[in-house]
Amino acid sequence: MSKVFYTLPDGSERVVEAAAGDSVMQTAVKHGVTGIVGQCGGVLSCATCHVFLDEAELGDYPEPSEDEDDMLDCAATEREDNSRLSCQLAVVEGRDVHVTIPAEQL
Amino acid sequence: MSETTLEPAFPFGPLSTEEGAAHIRALLADRPMSRMTMPLGGDVWIIHRHAAARSVLSDPRFVREPFRTGERTVPYYVPFPPFLLSTIQFEDPPQHTRLRKLVQKGLSPRRVKAMRDSAVTFANSLIDDMVARGGPVDLVQSYSLPLPIQMLSDLLGVPSSDRDRFERWSSAFLSVSGKSPEEAGADIGELGAYMAGLIAERRADPQDDLLSALANARDKDDTLTDAEILPIAFVLIIGGFDNTANFISTGTAALLRSDEQRARLLADIDGLTATTAEEVLRIGRFAMGMPVKGGVSLVPWVATEDVEIDGQLVRAGEAVAVDPASINQDPEAIEDPTAFDIGRKDNPHLTLSYGLHHCVGAPLARMELQVGIAELFRRLPTLRLAGEPTFNFEHISQPMTSLLVDW
Repeated sequence: MSKVFYTLPDGSERVVEAAAGDSVMQTAVKHGVTGIVGQCGGVLSCATCHVFLDEAELGDYPEPSEDEDDMLDCAATEREDNSRLSCQLAVVEGRDVHVTIPAEQL
Repeated sequence: MSETTLEPAFPFGPLSTEEGAAHIRALLADRPMSRMTMPLGGDVWIIHRHAAARSVLSDPRFVREPFRTGERTVPYYVPFPPFLLSTIQFEDPPQHTRLRKLVQKGLSPRRVKAMRDSAVTFANSLIDDMVARGGPVDLVQSYSLPLPIQMLSDLLGVPSSDRDRFERWSSAFLSVSGKSPEEAGADIGELGAYMAGLIAERRADPQDDLLSALANARDKDDTLTDAEILPIAFVLIIGGFDNTANFISTGTAALLRSDEQRARLLADIDGLTATTAEEVLRIGRFAMGMPVKGGVSLVPWVATEDVEIDGQLVRAGEAVAVDPASINQDPEAIEDPTAFDIGRKDNPHLTLSYGLHHCVGAPLARMELQVGIAELFRRLPTLRLAGEPTFNFEHISQPMTSLLVDW
């Protein structure tokens, strides 16, 4: 089992047990974590699952695809260097993930 | 077994709001979906439960192609005209993906955020006009309709000098237009010719607007043809005028009916605007104290193989649709679902759909609804109903046709 640590805009944290293979977005939606919408269901079509990935973990994931990169430019909260769309971050067995949820998705 | 022998019945109503909510609660407990025989196009499964709906809406085994090609008639209350079947709504991947990618950036949350100030300015100018005239005023004609029409015209890039003509033709798409099919058809034809001319101009001389973006869209070696752009523009007009106007009218009526929620909003407009808009989208129709009916769904899909959904087998070739009214009150997804709570933090409603085909204008609709409600109540905190809202119950979307208010 892996854990995903979601830091909410108000500074509080939610820790969730995640199934390997689910995305960080799917994990949030399944567990009702406030602040990640994922309106398009994970097909890089809405930019409403935007997260800031812990800088130390950026290297755990492949670079964003061109499509993800394009959509990150569309997010309601301006992107930072550690911005990712959480539908593209797959949970890996034995590896925890730490993300911060931006103030706005819609 | 026909749907009329199933209890609770679907379709149902009209019922009072309380009876309707109770009916939906019983329906959700009884079964995940109902099979309906529509006036046109035969049978369709209509899904009531949230989880089942989300799974279908994000399942590539459900497609629209048989409707687009005309092989199947869309099971619905009214016919879908051919021009509507040519829109992005009826495409499947990979063509859908291609079209969607080329249009979604122009309507993204970020793009829409940049339009917010001008929406606030325009909303206030509409309110200025209302105040100058003095109440009572019909909010539908004076506010709910003009705001989205203006914002969409701005977004598309329709020159100011052409706005009157553009609005006249586009009104043919409106449920409240009262035009005959022939009149509407003529308007749609003229609008199509006008838009084609404008697209050509923008291709040659791009401005910072959506038509320019569409006319000059490049995705690697891919471009959009006029035949692809025009239906996109039409679907934005169809979705962007009527529906958004209806959301604004519904939201205002719901807030005017609930002293408690209105007081909450007035005490913290900026803090509550976003969650208010979501709650209006979720349950606004049930918060106006009006009779409610069940039986409307979003546009259907066709199953390409047998799929079991929440214990119900949907066979290959059968049509499936989702019923937002029930879905949005599913206690499995929404806490205390019948409460109209403008501060609700977790609000996974499906009014703007979900998955591949989720409303492409969602960011714009949300922004207009937020601005529409916030500015209205900020400027006119003593706003009150000056008569009963009227509706066109004959029309599929049951739009509000007038909302008399005073302050």
